[in-house]
Amino acid sequence: MNEILKHSIRFIALFIIQAFILNQLEVGWGIQLMVYPLFIMLLPFDLGLIYLMLIAFGMGMLIDAISNTYGLHTSSLVLFAYLRPVIMKIFSPRDGYEKMREGNIFEMGTRWFIYVFGGLLAIQHFWFFLIEIFRLDEVFFVLQKTILSLPLSYALCYLLQALFISKPKER
Amino acid sequence: MFLVFIALQLIALSTYFTFLEFPRSQYLTSASYVSGSVLEVRNDITKHFNLSYNNDMLQRENTWLRQHQPASFQKLQGHTFKIDDTLFHQQYLFIPATVINSTVTKRNNYFTLNIGYRQGIKRGMGVFSEKGIVGIIHNTSEHFSVVKSVLTENINIDVMIEPIGLFGLLKWDGADPRRGSITGISNDLKIKKWSKVVTRGGSGIFPRGLNVGHIEKLRPVEGKPLWDVVMRYSEDYRTLQRVYVIKNLMQAEQDSLEAAIPEDKEEE
Repeated sequence: MNEILKHSIRFIALFIIQAFILNQLEVGWGIQLMVYPLFIMLLPFDLGLIYLMLIAFGMGMLIDAISNTYGLHTSSLVLFAYLRPVIMKIFSPRDGYEKMREGNIFEMGTRWFIYVFGGLLAIQHFWFFLIEIFRLDEVFFVLQKTILSLPLSYALCYLLQALFISKPKER
Repeated sequence: MFLVFIALQLIALSTYFTFLEFPRSQYLTSASYVSGSVLEVRNDITKHFNLSYNNDMLQRENTWLRQHQPASFQKLQGHTFKIDDTLFHQQYLFIPATVINSTVTKRNNYFTLNIGYRQGIKRGMGVFSEKGIVGIIHNTSEHFSVVKSVLTENINIDVMIEPIGLFGLLKWDGADPRRGSITGISNDLKIKKWSKVVTRGGSGIFPRGLNVGHIEKLRPVEGKPLWDVVMRYSEDYRTLQRVYVIKNLMQAEQDSLEAAIPEDKEEE
């Protein structure tokens, strides 16, 4: 399949899931599910950082425009995009990323995915709730929101990949 | 690289923090034409989920209104009946609207309505539903508007505790969409649990006596002669759909009168 078409479809699908379903859900205990960082995660490895951040900025602005959050999603997603190469370098496989096509869970393995995507998602969630509340005396509420939301968001991202991304044939 | 990152972060964060104070543009909010239309389509799909409940509510309100129609009263005074009323002037008009987008879990929650300045909506008008107040219009476009709801940190609506007539400011602590708090209530007065809270109508945004909620808990504030009053909203904002926007016909009159109060001068 054409790469650009593939990523465009992912963009639209994740945008719709986030803006029209997950942002409308009220789970309770301050839980907010976020799956749109998965799109940034699955962009090609060789894409330049500037493009990555600009795409993140555009996607965040679209989600913000629909859900009346004015820059919250944008800020956290740009942070996610900025840190992606940094975290990926720390956990880079022995042969580098040249042979790999994209950072999904089947291509890279569960262990790598938990470290890299889990770590990035944790930073993104923490940043999101920190900016949203923005009060030093409620740090525990920020932590509570992050810790409760993170496993659910991660599980949802795992589920989406298991459903829609085909596993590599051999191996 | 890092500079681009900083620049994008600055844009995002500045839009977030300036919007809380004053909306500079409509393009990035759900009051803009594109996202407003998208949300309207979404609402067209989901509004039927609560249809029977909404119908019940509307029917109840209709019955109440019908009971107050002239047709349901017996005429005692023969045939002459003049409607041109010089005792009562109309002060408030109500414009019906539908909530097409809302959140209740954020720190500052905004609702989007399906009417805009074409229908006469202006920034600063009050919004209420059948069961209680909802918020104040924050931003409008041609066909849509955004309401700063009572589930926002610095909403500060002046309210009154009903049987004793105490005034306070309504606040929200940002956690529970069912409860708010009232500040500025001094603790030398006895307040009964479950007493009613209504709007005071001081600023002309809301008429006097609209429902807000009930007192649920009273806690003393440490070191100050004040009660920390926890209030339960009478409206459940998680299922809110039909609202009314308040147009105060005498707002300009009140504003110009109050603007004539001389400000306190420091040197005198």
